[in-house]
Amino acid sequence: MTANSSIGDAGVDPVDDDVTDEELAAFDAERSSDGSSRTRVVIAAMAVVAIVVAAVIGFSVGRLSTLGHPIPTTESAEAGFSRDMQVHHNQGVELAMLIRDRTDSVDVRTLAYDIATTQAQQSGQLYDWLVQWGLPQNSRQPDMTWMTLPTLAGATGHAHGGGDPASTGSHTPGDPMPGLATPGQIAWLTAADGPEAERVFLTLMIAHHQGAIEMAEALEPRTTNAAALSFAKAVIASQEAEIDLMTGMLDDRGGPVALAD
Amino acid sequence: MTPASDRPKGTPVPPAVKQQSVKQEREAQRQAKVAAFKQAQKRKNRNKRIGVWAAVVGGVAVIAVLVTSVVLTLPKNATYSGGGTGTGTDIAGVALFENTSEHVEGTVDYPQNPPAGGPHNQYWLNCGIYTEEQVDENAVHSLEHGAIWVTYDPSISDAELTKLKELLPKTYVVLSPQSDLPSPIVLSGWNSQLQVNNASDARIADFFEEFWKSNNVPEPGAACTGAIDGPGKV
Repeated sequence: MTANSSIGDAGVDPVDDDVTDEELAAFDAERSSDGSSRTRVVIAAMAVVAIVVAAVIGFSVGRLSTLGHPIPTTESAEAGFSRDMQVHHNQGVELAMLIRDRTDSVDVRTLAYDIATTQAQQSGQLYDWLVQWGLPQNSRQPDMTWMTLPTLAGATGHAHGGGDPASTGSHTPGDPMPGLATPGQIAWLTAADGPEAERVFLTLMIAHHQGAIEMAEALEPRTTNAAALSFAKAVIASQEAEIDLMTGMLDDRGGPVALAD
Repeated sequence: MTPASDRPKGTPVPPAVKQQSVKQEREAQRQAKVAAFKQAQKRKNRNKRIGVWAAVVGGVAVIAVLVTSVVLTLPKNATYSGGGTGTGTDIAGVALFENTSEHVEGTVDYPQNPPAGGPHNQYWLNCGIYTEEQVDENAVHSLEHGAIWVTYDPSISDAELTKLKELLPKTYVVLSPQSDLPSPIVLSGWNSQLQVNNASDARIADFFEEFWKSNNVPEPGAACTGAIDGPGKV
């Protein structure tokens, strides 16, 4: 045994051929005693080892489980969406507040109140995601860059022409966001009054909602973040319902106005 | 330990045959005990070897799991001090102030030029590009909502102004000319300011990253639209 000793032989007594009487006596004593004190020490040691191992495994599982839900980086789709959708929603608030000051229609004023409070709250949520993720509100990348990122399924966002906007958005970084009203269109609404203002508002807000839905649908295939996914789902569901409502209101008022840039 | 040696002198020696058989018996007992001892020793050695190897392998595995889980989940180095600290102390030349934020009427004598926070008018200045000088008391209110006020000396070149405009976020920014500036271009946030000599200064982007829509302004997220347009709005 001693010839090929290795790390595993540490503390191992070689089996000798010339057994002494002292060794036999000790052996006898060991066999006749119940060894309870020794057993207690061994059990205590094993318990300590088990606790340490369980603690290490628990810690490791906890740490490793975060890998499935990484904190979004500054160039992620989640961060890009959070920044761009704040801009989009803030304009939604602006348009809604403008129409509330320009009409007496309770229907339109209530719709505008709904839109302004909803989008202001959601904009605050998006703001706080970035705060919680430790990311700056401003990006060094152009707006909309996140919509050109490949989806998690691998489809790139660069493909142009047709197809599902959710997976093949036809955007270029720096492009205006879909559905965003131009300064000229906002000036038109600002200058309008009464029923005309209602028609301008409804026309602009339907396009604005369609753009927001496009952005939310672009986020869905690009994230596994639970908060981002439920946010996108909520935007799509609520804004589709509001588009239906606004389309009906617009029909009652003579239909959409033709918008110039 | 042989009993024979303990026998007192004078005691009759037992017959040889009988003595032989007792001796043999004792020897046989001893041999049995030795065999048992050797077997036990072998077993003990095997168990020890298994124990040592199990401890080594288990210990290495536990340490490996620990190291792996820590290394894989190390926090990534942030490019920005962020998370709402907004101190910007790593940007050279940034000045920080402590201003109050009450609403007042009339003019205010601001300690900074251009003002970077302090008492202000109830009407904030709508964010956007302006070609004329703006009223301090309105612009300061926009800073309170998280906007950055970018002021430039009217003498800077058109090319320089164009370059500056390209650096600006599309919302929550007021751009306006201003005379008597301490440097050709000054960026002011609520309680923060940076003076630069030209639009090529890389600190401009750093300043926007740190202070634009900062979480440290009194009213983050409040609108920068819907109040008043100053003169010369583009």
